[in-house]
Parts: sequence; structure tokens; C-alpha cells
Amino acid sequence: MREAIAGRFVGSSVRRVEDARLLTGNGRFVDDIVVPGMLHAAFLRSPYPHADIRRIDVAAARRLAGVTAVYTGAEIAEITNPYIGMLNMPGLYEPSFFSLSADRVRYVGDPVAIVVAASRRVAEDACGLIDVDYSPLPAVATIGQALDPSRPALWPKAPHGNVLHTASDSYGADEGTIDGVFADADRVVTQRFRQHRIANQPMETRGLVVEMSPDGNAVLHAPTQSAHAYKWLMALLVPKRRLRDSARKIARDREQLKRFMKGAKEFMAANPNIAEANKQTTAQMMKNMVRDPRQAVALQRSMVGLMSKNADERPEVAAPDIGGAFGSKTAVSREDITVYAVARAIGRSIKFVEDRTENLMGGGHGREEQVELSFALRNDGTLLGVKAAMTIDAGAYPGVPIGSPMITAMVKVMLPGPYRFPVFKFDARSVASNKGTYVPYRGPWAVEAWVRERMWDICADELGIGRDEIRLKNIVDPSELPTTMRTGPKLDVRMSAKRTLTDALAIADLAGWPRQQEAARASGRLVGLGFATYIEAAPGPPDYFDHVMPGFGSMIGREPAQMALNDDGTITIFSQQVPHGQSHETTFAQVAADQLGVPIESIRFVWGDTRVTPFGLLGTGGSRAAAMTGGAVTISSKELRGRILDVAADMLEAAREDLQITDGNVHVAGVPAMGVGLDAVAAEAKRRHADPAAKPGEAMRVSAFFDGGEGGWSQATHVCWVEVDADTGMVTIPRYVVVEDCGELINPAIVEGQVRGGVAQGIGQVLYERLTYDDGGNMKAATYMDYLIPTCMEIPAIEIHHIETPSDIEANYRGVGEGGMIAAPAALTNAIEDALRHRGVRITESYLPPSRILELLGTIS
Amino acid sequence: MKVELTVNGTAHSLETEPRRTLAELLREDVGLTGTHLGCEHGVCGACTVIVDGTSARACLLLAGQVDGAHVETIESLAVDGRFHPIQEAMRDHHGFQCAFCAPGFMMTTKAMLDANPSPTPDEIREELSGNLCRCTGYASILAAVEAVVAGGTTSKEKDHA
Repeated sequence: MREAIAGRFVGSSVRRVEDARLLTGNGRFVDDIVVPGMLHAAFLRSPYPHADIRRIDVAAARRLAGVTAVYTGAEIAEITNPYIGMLNMPGLYEPSFFSLSADRVRYVGDPVAIVVAASRRVAEDACGLIDVDYSPLPAVATIGQALDPSRPALWPKAPHGNVLHTASDSYGADEGTIDGVFADADRVVTQRFRQHRIANQPMETRGLVVEMSPDGNAVLHAPTQSAHAYKWLMALLVPKRRLRDSARKIARDREQLKRFMKGAKEFMAANPNIAEANKQTTAQMMKNMVRDPRQAVALQRSMVGLMSKNADERPEVAAPDIGGAFGSKTAVSREDITVYAVARAIGRSIKFVEDRTENLMGGGHGREEQVELSFALRNDGTLLGVKAAMTIDAGAYPGVPIGSPMITAMVKVMLPGPYRFPVFKFDARSVASNKGTYVPYRGPWAVEAWVRERMWDICADELGIGRDEIRLKNIVDPSELPTTMRTGPKLDVRMSAKRTLTDALAIADLAGWPRQQEAARASGRLVGLGFATYIEAAPGPPDYFDHVMPGFGSMIGREPAQMALNDDGTITIFSQQVPHGQSHETTFAQVAADQLGVPIESIRFVWGDTRVTPFGLLGTGGSRAAAMTGGAVTISSKELRGRILDVAADMLEAAREDLQITDGNVHVAGVPAMGVGLDAVAAEAKRRHADPAAKPGEAMRVSAFFDGGEGGWSQATHVCWVEVDADTGMVTIPRYVVVEDCGELINPAIVEGQVRGGVAQGIGQVLYERLTYDDGGNMKAATYMDYLIPTCMEIPAIEIHHIETPSDIEANYRGVGEGGMIAAPAALTNAIEDALRHRGVRITESYLPPSRILELLGTIS
Repeated sequence: MKVELTVNGTAHSLETEPRRTLAELLREDVGLTGTHLGCEHGVCGACTVIVDGTSARACLLLAGQVDGAHVETIESLAVDGRFHPIQEAMRDHHGFQCAFCAPGFMMTTKAMLDANPSPTPDEIREELSGNLCRCTGYASILAAVEAVVAGGTTSKEKDHA
């Protein structure tokens, strides 16, 4: 049972700790960082979508006053290891590539040279003096072109042209049986859906300040979502070390190898299933190496090089305040690799911050996908089987470390959502194109919810039954819990998707809607109501990620948290999370404050610095922090509380069970005046026993891991009302309702901020944002005049209703970071179709600006 | 070229290339990094400051255009560690998340309220529509500004804890 500690902070919209610095202009973002002697970098980028580089001449750039160094792709290849595929999924070709392009460019914005100079201005001037002789190639600008074998392959060694990955999975039956289910069904409804390319677009672009210290090592001030993953990827790729030099170094310095292996062994011991879980990927890796021995050499050189690097040859990462990311800062960008490699090579600190145009071209794209979906149904709406074939346009360079095949795998696992059906077949395909790299973007798998919830409306229409009826017939009822999704993950007893749906439809008065819509139509207005239900693994059941990719769950491992009681009686939490807008400094202080009985102000949440935070590969992403770090902080708080009470019990000559901690004062229940402060406890603890884990200034330090427990799901139903102006094609949203269940709310204002922000991005996706490329692969949306981020004029008021399904689970917190954006495009497009259905309109695409609405209405062609 | 300007009440005499922007002068020469650069083409509003009493995009003003100007930045809002009512309302209403856009929003708000202390909700929305926020969906920001307007000057006296 949940321990009855008075919830003074959890559940309350505590004001944000972060705001003291962020509201006063005292935040420290990457571009605010200045280190002594720092130089500035700029990149020369390709103006062509696809071209061979015949010649590059940087002599004039090198001669410009103020320029310190210029590196081309060929020169970068001398000092860095190439990116090598690490997903090792069957059916996947993973090209290796360097951080600057030497022979061929593959998208508009592809970096071909870096200039390092006294100022960004001079560096940009020097870029203008670089002469590149390009020989243009036909571009691959659409999925259709990528599937056309007559177009040139971006990666000539790939076995299937521009199709880099294919996979096919069947659930519930073999393929033949599934075909039988479809043949026998009363109805089969098939529809092809198309999502358009959009971009994460945090208000702060990407950047990096490499601070070189006199001993030659580096601190990377990097706005990254995972500091530790960033550090180790950097150490793997930079600097390049010849195999024999690495071997010689290892032979000379056996102690270093021992330390490295000890660390690796500790990681393996902490994650005992890792080898077994990764059997499939290991076998695939071997196969890939046999097929392409050059990759094997590169991998070996990188790995042995990494083993040979002492701690002081591996960079440390110190993430500054981060101005948003939405998935785009999970990657270690090619620009980052280049800047770090050059800084090491010339022994100088360097700053690079993208401008907005660079960010739109190369800072990460998402969502361009098409899905052909078939539902086999009975006439009464019972879903018998689903077939889906998905193609993802991954852009030019595979995302590292999260590539498009992981996204299609997540879409596959999540497509059933909270609905039951017997058989499922999912085909996935990733294609390369001459566009910016596909990266995870807030709910990267969201197309599953869009196509499924769109499809329910279409099927209801085809069968002549209600949109609510068809969903309610197939959605998992609480009486069926626990159960499993058709794709495997467990739905535990807290799964409340159905309740969010029924509550939302009651709030929306769906029953009364046809009358309202009829009345509006009678007066010439086009109005619609749409709704959509989704579930999100936030963090999902314990084995969730192994359903996505075998072995992946074990790589992420358990969530660490360390906590210290400081000499002055304050508390510090150390986490591998790297918040970038999620307000972790506040929420986890709330969790710890309640457990420990101390004020929020006495708790500090430390993140982002690999020198002081515990190791973890995932950082902040995937809507996991509330559950995972919430759990880890709960566990470590309890342990710390126990140790505090042990000491205080002796000091107060009282039984431990009789003690309370109130406002930082440890006392016998009922006699707060006779208590001792945590600073006194700290002093006494130190006097008795030096805690070997404690660092200077600390009296005690505890270290805990949370394995996720039962995990669990976030779920919600969104309802959207629209009015469409038939003359202008403008869509307005008079009302928007969210009914959600993310377990216990730590800080309602923060939860609601995440939900509203997600919905806003979903509205942006459908009505305003599109990364346009022409058929020749030229980018047409390289400024905010062309790529339209919605303003406060476009985003409606969003009503939020919370459900908290009761549970005995302690730390019953689940994530909400991504959900808003998962459901919004589905609810909004369903509403638009509802408004236009009587005009014969069917919505199968996700971008619906006024011009497209007018086309659908037949007003323009 | 030489540029004289007053920033948050302090006079500065700066030697600069003419092509540099006010945002660069503030961030690099004056050392006030609260003014953020989001797009550098005048759309996102993150760099909004107040120049001679009017809100302006610091990324679009070149050095020569601000010679003799009086500039107010985000760093001028809190006085002796005490939040300005706009900041206080933003904190109370969880106005921002990553808060990269926050300085621009708050300076736009200040310029608006300096000119008109009691805008309607529609006027607030219109005025703030020149600033982009990617995190919040705007509701919390609008609510905070409405609270400042509703509270008038008395919010200055509120508890700062």
C-alpha cells in the first residue's frame, strides 16, 4: 500500500524552481557560454540535393584574415571514425558515413566544409570563399521516387537501391491464416494514408561549445537529451586512432584496459540479460561484417580505439539549459562530431550554434510516412484483423542513435492501441531520400494513432454504424484486464483508455451532436466533431522495448538516482535525466520533499553533467521521466530517510518508528520543538562514520535504481470541434477537450502544460507546418516565413479533464510529454472530415491548409 | 563604427562593425545574454527588446540604427532580486517550459502594458502573436498576462516567496 506520508507537494502546482533563473534572463543556454580563447565555426553546405563533389578548393578561405582552420570532408575522414550502423536489425542496410561529405552530397544543407575563425561572421565570410565543383545527380525527393529503380541510389552499395530496410511481422496467426481471415470477413476496408514532412523546431536551435582544457581534454557544453550517450558516441568517433596505435597503447597501459573492462563488466553485471537479449542483433552484426568487411574494419578501429582511450581522452559532457528539443536533440549530429574533432585537432575551444535555416534543413525532420491500412470486419463492426504496410522517408543520412527502423517497429507495436483483434500483419519499409535526416519527433510512432483513429471513422461510415459504437465494440474493457496487446505488451489493470473515451464522449455530448451539426448546416455553416483515443507506453510494461527491438530494453537498463544529505542539511538529487522544458528540477524536488519531509527549497536536482550524474543511456525522452525517475527518487529518498532516522534516533534517544521529519526538522511525533535539524544530523552522521560514498560537502549519499516496476500506460481521448470556412478554406477550432489518465499527477500545472503544448504541435502539423521540397529535392521552407509555427492566434483554449485510476502502486506516475501530439492530428482530421463528409470528402492526408481544403471542396483544383 | 547606446540605464560606447545587430551588441559586447536569438529573421520574437519605448526585434536592428537609443532588456525587469509583476505572474501561472522564448514574450508584454495598462484579452492575444513559443500552446502565457492586467500595480506588493 502507498505509505501514508502527507502529500504536501505531490499533487500541487508548485511554482517552478527553474523560473528563478529562466524568467530573469539568467538561464545559461549554449549560445550564452563563452570560454576563454573560444573560436567560432560555420559550415559550408551543399546547395544541391544530390551531387558528386568533383573538387573543393579552400585555399582562399584559409588565407582570409581571422581564419584559424578549414577542414574538408577528406580531412575530417583523417581525424574521425565514420558513423557505423549499430542497429543491426535483420533486413537493414546501414551505410557508414563521415560527419562531412567528401565525395557526394545528399541533401540541401549537407555540410562539406567547416571554417573555424575569430568570429562567426568571419567564418561565414570564409565559407563564401570556398569553391566547390559539383556534378548534380537526379534527386530522390519523394517516396515514389525512392521506390523507382531508375533513380540513382543514395548509397550505391545498398542491396535494394533506396529501400534500406524491410521487415514483415505477423501476430496471432501465420500470413496465410491472416489472408483467410480477410477473405472470410463481411467487409474489408482499405485506405492509404499519407503524413507529410514536418520538423521538431525547438525555439533554440542545436549547438555545441567545445571547451578544451590545457591538458588536451574537452568538456562539451552540449544541449543534448542524453549526456552520457552523447559522451560515449563522441569518444567512439573522435579522434580516429589507427588500430596498431590503439593496440600499442593498450599494450603499454594495461591498467587503462583493466579499468575499461571493469567498467564494461559492471555494466554487464548490472544488466545481466544483455548478452542473451542481444543475441539476434549480434548475429546480424556478424552477417553485416561478412558482407561488408570495410565496415568491420571501421567498427573494430572505433571500438579498439575507444578501449585505448584513457578517461582523460574521453570528453565530459555538461549540458547547459536547453531551449526545447522534442526529440531533435537525441542525436549526435554530424556538425557536433566535426566541431569536436577540429577542436581536438587544433587544441582550441570552439562554439557552433546553428542558425534557423540550418536547423530547418538539417536539424531533424519527422513524420513523412505512408501507411496502407486494411481492416477486416464483421458487419456489426467487430474487428477481426488488421494489415498495415508502412513506408517511412528517412531522408539522406540515418539518424544516430535512433534510426527510422526503430520508429517503424514502434508504430508496429503500438498500432493495435487499446483495441482487441485476433490477427495482425505489419510490413515496414524505410527509404532513403535527398532530404534532411528523419529523427524522433514527440511521439515518433504517432502515425499509429492517426491512421487507426481515422480508419475507425471510415469503417463506421462504410458500415453505417456510429463512430463511438465501432470503437466501444472493440476497445478493451476494464473487466478484461490484465491482457496483452495483439503485438505483445501487457495492458495492466490501470489501463483506462475506455474510460477516457466514454467520459470524453459524455463531456462532448456526442449524442446531441448530429442535431447541432444539422442546425449549423441549415444556416450554411460547415462544422465537425472528431475524437481519437490513444495509449502511450510511458514507460510501458517491463518488457515493452523488447517487443520493439530485441535487446533494446536491456540496453536502457534501470533508472538510476543518487541522493545526498549535504553538510548544511540540504539535499541533492543526481539524475541521468536531461530536462529541456519538462521542469524536472521542480517535480522531482516535490517527490523527494514529500518522502523526506523537507521544503522544496532545500532540494537541488542535478542533471546533465557526466562528471557528477549517474550513468544512463536514454537521458530524457520517451515520456519516461515521471515514472522512471519518479520511482528512482522515491526509492532513494526512502533509503536516505532511513539513514537520517537511524542517526536522529540516537541523537534524540527515541525509537526510530516514533520519528517524523517536518520541514527539515527531525522530531518525535507531536514534539517538534524537541527536534534536530538535518544539518545537525549531517554533522552527527559524519562524526560517527565517514560514508565512503559521500563526496566533499556531503554527510551521506545513497544510490538506487528503479526497474520500472509494473511500468504502465498513459492514455487519453481528445475531442476536437472545427468550423470550416467554405469560402476561404480556413479551419478554426472553437473547442478542444482532453480527457487523460497519467496516474497520479505530481504537478498538475506542469502536466497540463505538456498536454497543451503537445496538442499545439499537433494542430500545427495539420493546419500550418510543412517542410516543403519540390520534385527536384530543393528545399522550399527554409525560414519561418515558409515554415509556419502556430502563434497564440491559432491555438485554441484546451480543456483538460484528469482521471486517476486508483492503484496501490507507489510512485504511480506516468509520462505525458508526447501524448498531446499523438492524438491531436487524429482528432483534428476526424473533425475536419466530419465537417465535410456530406460533401463527399474523405481525409487521407495530414496536411490541410486552406488551399487543400478548397481543393477537397472542389472550389479550386 | 562607434555606437553610443543606453542599456537598462547604463551608457555604453561600443566600437563595432556596422553589420552587427543590436542582439549581437547586447549579447557579446554588453554581456547581457538574456536576449535570445531564435530565428534571426524577425519572425520568432525571442530577441524582442524595448528600444526608445517601443518593442523591437534586436535581430533586425543593425548597429548604426541604435546609435543614441535607449534599450531595455529582460535583465531590467527584476529589481534587486525582486520579480517584476510580469515575471511573478509568469511564475504563478507556469507561463513557460524551456523558457527560451520567455525574455521576448515578457519584453513584448512590458512594451504593451507601458503603452496600454488595460488591454482586453483579444488585444493581448493580438499583441503577443508576434512571439513564438513551441512548448506551451500559449494558454499559460496568456493567462499570466491577463493576471498582470487584472492585478494592476498591486501585484508588485505580493509575496515574493
